[in-house]
Amino acid sequence: METGVPLGGYLAVGLMMFIVGVIGVVIRRNPIVIFMCIELMLNAVNLTLLAFAKYGPVNQGADPTQTAMAGQMMVIFVMAVAAAEVAVGLGIIMAIYRLRHNIDVDEMSVLRG
Amino acid sequence: MISISLVVFLPLLGAILLGLIPGEKLQQLRYGSLLVTVATMLASIALFLKFDSNTFHFQMTEFLPWMKSAGINYRMGVDGISIWLILLTTFLTVISTWFSFYVKERVKAYMICILVLETAMLGVFTSLDMILFYSFFEASLVPMWLLISIWGGANRKYAGLKFFLYTFAGSIFMLLGIIVMAWLNQKVTGAWSFDLVEIQSNVANGKLWASSMAIQPFIFWAFALAFLVKCPAFPFHTWLPDAHVEAPTAGSVILAGVLLKMGTYGFLRFVLPLFPDSLRDNTLPLMIIAVVGILYGAIVAAVQPDVKKLVAYSSVSHMGFVLLGIFSLSQMGMMGGAMQQLNHGISTGALFLLIGLIYERRHTRNFSDFGGLKAQMPIYSAIFLIVMLSSVGLPGLNGFVGEFLALFGSFQSGWVGLYGMTYWLPALAGVGVILSAVYLLWMFQKVFYGPNVNPENQLLKDIKPWEIAMTGTLVVMIFVGGIFPNIFLKPMEKAITATRMMATYPAGQRPVWSNKSHEIDATGALTSNGTIVAPASPYPTFELAKNANENGPALSTEIKAPVASANPRRRGGR
Amino acid sequence: MEATKNLIWLVLFLPLVGSLIQALLGGRIVKQLGPQKGKWLMGLLAVAPIAISFVIGAFITLQLTNAEPADRHTVVTLFNWIDFTSIRIPFETVIDPLSMTMVLIITGIGALIHLYATGYMAEEKEYTRFFTYLNLFVAAMLILVLGNNLAMLFVGWEGVGVCSYLLIGFWYKDIANAKAANKAFIVNRIGDLGLTLGIFLLVTLMLTSKAGHVGSDNRWLSYDVLLSLDPSLTGAAQALGNNPGVAFAIAMLFFVGACGKSAQFPLYIWLPDAMAGPTPVSALIHAATMVTSGVFLLNRMNLLFQMSPAASAIVAIVGAFTAVFAALIAFGQMDIKKVLAYSTVSQLGLMFVGCGSGYFWAGMFHVTTHAFFKALLFLGSGAVIHAMAHNQDMRNYGGLFKYIKITSICMIIGWLTISGVWPMSGWFSKGAIIDGAIAQPYSVYGEANLGQLAGYIGLVGAFLTAIYMTRMTYLTFFNKEERWRLIEPHHQAHETHEHAHHEAHDHGPDEHGFFLTEAPPEEHAHHHELDREHTPREVPISMWVPLVVLAACSLFAGIIMNRATEIPGVSEHQHVSAFQNWLYPQGLSQWTRLPEVPHEAPFGLSGHWFMVAISVAAVAGGLLGGILWYRQIHKNRLPVNEGWDTGGWNPWRRRAMNQFGYDSAMVSSAVEGGDQLATALWKKIDVGVIDRTVNGLGRFAGGIGKVFAFFQGGYVRGYALMMLAGVALLLGYIAFKMKEREAPPMEHVEISRRVASL
Repeated sequence: METGVPLGGYLAVGLMMFIVGVIGVVIRRNPIVIFMCIELMLNAVNLTLLAFAKYGPVNQGADPTQTAMAGQMMVIFVMAVAAAEVAVGLGIIMAIYRLRHNIDVDEMSVLRG
Repeated sequence: MISISLVVFLPLLGAILLGLIPGEKLQQLRYGSLLVTVATMLASIALFLKFDSNTFHFQMTEFLPWMKSAGINYRMGVDGISIWLILLTTFLTVISTWFSFYVKERVKAYMICILVLETAMLGVFTSLDMILFYSFFEASLVPMWLLISIWGGANRKYAGLKFFLYTFAGSIFMLLGIIVMAWLNQKVTGAWSFDLVEIQSNVANGKLWASSMAIQPFIFWAFALAFLVKCPAFPFHTWLPDAHVEAPTAGSVILAGVLLKMGTYGFLRFVLPLFPDSLRDNTLPLMIIAVVGILYGAIVAAVQPDVKKLVAYSSVSHMGFVLLGIFSLSQMGMMGGAMQQLNHGISTGALFLLIGLIYERRHTRNFSDFGGLKAQMPIYSAIFLIVMLSSVGLPGLNGFVGEFLALFGSFQSGWVGLYGMTYWLPALAGVGVILSAVYLLWMFQKVFYGPNVNPENQLLKDIKPWEIAMTGTLVVMIFVGGIFPNIFLKPMEKAITATRMMATYPAGQRPVWSNKSHEIDATGALTSNGTIVAPASPYPTFELAKNANENGPALSTEIKAPVASANPRRRGGR
Repeated sequence: MEATKNLIWLVLFLPLVGSLIQALLGGRIVKQLGPQKGKWLMGLLAVAPIAISFVIGAFITLQLTNAEPADRHTVVTLFNWIDFTSIRIPFETVIDPLSMTMVLIITGIGALIHLYATGYMAEEKEYTRFFTYLNLFVAAMLILVLGNNLAMLFVGWEGVGVCSYLLIGFWYKDIANAKAANKAFIVNRIGDLGLTLGIFLLVTLMLTSKAGHVGSDNRWLSYDVLLSLDPSLTGAAQALGNNPGVAFAIAMLFFVGACGKSAQFPLYIWLPDAMAGPTPVSALIHAATMVTSGVFLLNRMNLLFQMSPAASAIVAIVGAFTAVFAALIAFGQMDIKKVLAYSTVSQLGLMFVGCGSGYFWAGMFHVTTHAFFKALLFLGSGAVIHAMAHNQDMRNYGGLFKYIKITSICMIIGWLTISGVWPMSGWFSKGAIIDGAIAQPYSVYGEANLGQLAGYIGLVGAFLTAIYMTRMTYLTFFNKEERWRLIEPHHQAHETHEHAHHEAHDHGPDEHGFFLTEAPPEEHAHHHELDREHTPREVPISMWVPLVVLAACSLFAGIIMNRATEIPGVSEHQHVSAFQNWLYPQGLSQWTRLPEVPHEAPFGLSGHWFMVAISVAAVAGGLLGGILWYRQIHKNRLPVNEGWDTGGWNPWRRRAMNQFGYDSAMVSSAVEGGDQLATALWKKIDVGVIDRTVNGLGRFAGGIGKVFAFFQGGYVRGYALMMLAGVALLLGYIAFKMKEREAPPMEHVEISRRVASL
């Protein structure tokens, strides 16, 4: 085993980031901030994925390098998806702002059932 | 060169190209879409010319792997039943696109809707994969729903929703049935497949239902329900009048002309070949449904205040004849039913078209607003008369052939008591023929006869040359169908005979689509490489004899004369 | 025969071509040549096809008479109309004595009536539309009689029905005419249903009996296959004989069809209303040809009726009842055409008596002579109506003999013929029917000889006919009182007409060019008025020539057709009527020969002379009684608006005029009852039950949705919180489950496996 930051450290940081993100999403009303919080959550997950990629047990009979690559690949995916999401989401927010001159999420409740 | 996929997707391609034309260029949009539909029609005629009417097998089949692991693939093919429905679809789409030159709002979206709808309809009639069929079946709902709820009348939202939900709710059960069929097939062959041809071959050799006969009725009714709603048969028909009244004219033409046929086509393509046992157990209730539909539609049509609603209810009545013919399970009845599908498409389509022409002028369809139009619009009234008489079922026009054969076939089946049928039902259905004269003549009288007192009508001009050409094509079709029905009957004969044998013959003697050596010979027997597999039975008496295990009703050789022959001399005149 | 048989297609298609010419080119030609010349040309083009058809038909008939009786049957096929394994219906015609007799009647009288119509309709604006329909009618009628199968018969059957519908409603601007047309078509359709079911049942019976014949000849609807003219086949007779109940049902269903078309009792109600059509139409369709197709059908299907004596008895009784019932109604009619309409119904009843008693040839004989004299009477009445400025009420006639001599003489011949005066043709044909019916032992039901009873009732009908026809003739042509001089002139009718549409009318923007910019010029139909200044004038030559020809036929046809001929091959040299020998030659089919049972005649007379005596008594009594009676009644002047027969007869006459309440009861119960039923079905079942159920289901689903809508607050944070809670619950559940299993520290592979196995 390599030395350095232990797995628990990575996980603790990831958990904290995630909780901050969740709280931010739930309590904030500015969609930009909500977005940032979502990014925070995604990055928390990324961190966890990378940590497991580094420390995770190796599949039986599988190439260890490939197993490690799987976690990193997932991270790349998540980042790409996050970028796309931001692009689309910011576009939507811009459109809403143009329409209503207000981006308070509590004001936007037309989807109420 | 010509292929089914080309015909099916040409309209979709056209719709995409139409999307590139700016929405303001109305003329280009109109002529462009007309061009696409005409091209599709020509392509379908080319398909027909390539069609071989001497076999019941699917022709020009196409295969593309799609979701291979699930057994869902892109399979297309036509046989004698579907080829005519394809031609009917492309023909009626041309006519309704032509009529749609009257549409002024959102022309682009409208034309795209029609073209997408055409692709969906053609897909329904050509798919051989059940999931593919289901996809097209449901895909046809969306453009039609848009047509009704965007370009429709005052109550269009309600009608559109009703149309969508009604038919959708019916076909959900069919999806369930489709999945169960594939599962049952997987139990036999070991691999999942939604291929109709493969499943039918396992039904035909009896393996599929051998161990699961108990669930056949449930799946049968799941399919039947979907198609009965689509037809529509009696208790499920109430979406139709609303949808017709609210739909724009082209929508009504396509709805009556093609969409309703999906129901009866479904019976011919799926229900008869796949559920022979349940079908034979349930012919009586199905016949009752058909006959109640015939009478009920006809009676209710007679008191409608709105011309379109009257024709809509008459559709319920006329489609009842199609169902009656199909459920008779006799060759004559089924030929009649299949013929009546085409005839109804043409004559009811033409009626809606004609109503649309007058609606464009007067923006009303109430009988109370009309009267005495015959003198005002002689050509229009002459065309209307012919179409009306075709719908009445006048011999010599197309409406007669289908009705006559369907009634005749079901009467024969009923008379010999085939599968528990009774001849009273066709006899009652015959009353529907009288009633059709009652309401249609009443309609004609209200609109065209009497004095022309409404000042709004006194300045009406006769219809224009292009409108005469448009409706005249339909009139020509009406005459061709009535005088030369064999043009239509011959190509569908083998397919109908085979479908009938799939439903009525015991396992092992049924024709198999996947077995290329199977053919129906000239006498109607099923042969394999020239040797007879199953004997011909053109008349229902054959089944009777088979079921009773005897040679039909006893024939005595003795002739009983009613009169005692006392004196052979004949009394002369004075 | 072989060489000329294809000429039959010319006979069939010439009228059709004529109709197409009228329909497609007529309007243009009249417009191009002007009304005078155009109408002349179109009239010629209308008459010519029918006349040529007649000539060709006569030629073919001559060929037929030259053949041996056994060979007088040729089938000519054109193409397969419907053809698949279980049935083949070719478009084929049969040339035999029966069909050619009808062809000659249709084309011969048709041509005369077309000629007449060119004069009668000369002032009509839609001249070519009239001849389109009329030519089409002749074509349809020819298909009916010439077709060699029941499907073609049905094509013609409904085809003539629709032509009749179109022609009754020809003057459609009067809504009453349109309603009469609808009534005719719908009542006919009821009969057509009977015919359809009869065809179905007959063919089905043959199929079930001939199960072994599969694949031999599948023309199941063709007469030569269905009725098995070939005696070597196990034929229809055998099948029918084995199933007497079914045979009865089939015969009755065919009879229902015949009742509809030939206006017999329960279904006769359309024919009097059909007089709304132009008079040539009444003459051709509703007297001479179409209405006799029921009798033709009975003749064609005579095997059926011979195999079912019970059905025959019903046919005879219904016919006899209709004959008397219609004759009684005719007494109450004011309209000259209505009198003739009821007399047609009555005469048709007599033909059914003949067929029902097994004397099919006599029925056809009366069809032939009736075609002559009834066409004559109708055309004559048309001439009278023409002379009387389209006034059809006999109360306004009187003393016309002085003014329209030719018409009057022809009408008087018609009157004497229909009454059955010797040697007019009516005497022979009626005599053949009544004579046969009374003599026959055939339509016997139980102990009752119903056919004989029908014969006696028919005799009463003949007696009544002589009286009411006398009444009609007397009121129209004789009597000094010229009541038409009393008609008030009504030329101010046009002035009171509202010209509502001349007022300015705003149609809004008319971008499509749907509307005329100004109202079309109003057509003022030319009416020549009749009052004390104008006297009736004789009709033009194109109208009286057909009258004279028909009068000659009425006079001589009976003698010619009823001349005695020898039965070929019978040694006794027994003589039968030429017409009978022509239609049903002896020794051909055993099923068309009836035995004669000598019946005991009262007063010691032999059967034949007894018949002559009672017939003469009926005819002479009717004529003389009628003349004396109406002379007596009409001594006094007639109140114009009331009636003539004052006193005790008046209420009966009124009841007769209203058809004893039968028609109105039928129509009102059907129309109102049907309307109520349909409205109730629509409002109660469609809207009330089905739609309410469906909408209820929709609302139910919506209600469920409302419950869940509570969770859809619309706030993003609410959704996020809910998601969080869901994830937390799920994770908690997984953790709980794993703990439950007391798992040792796991590899992640193991975790995923366990998660999957949850």
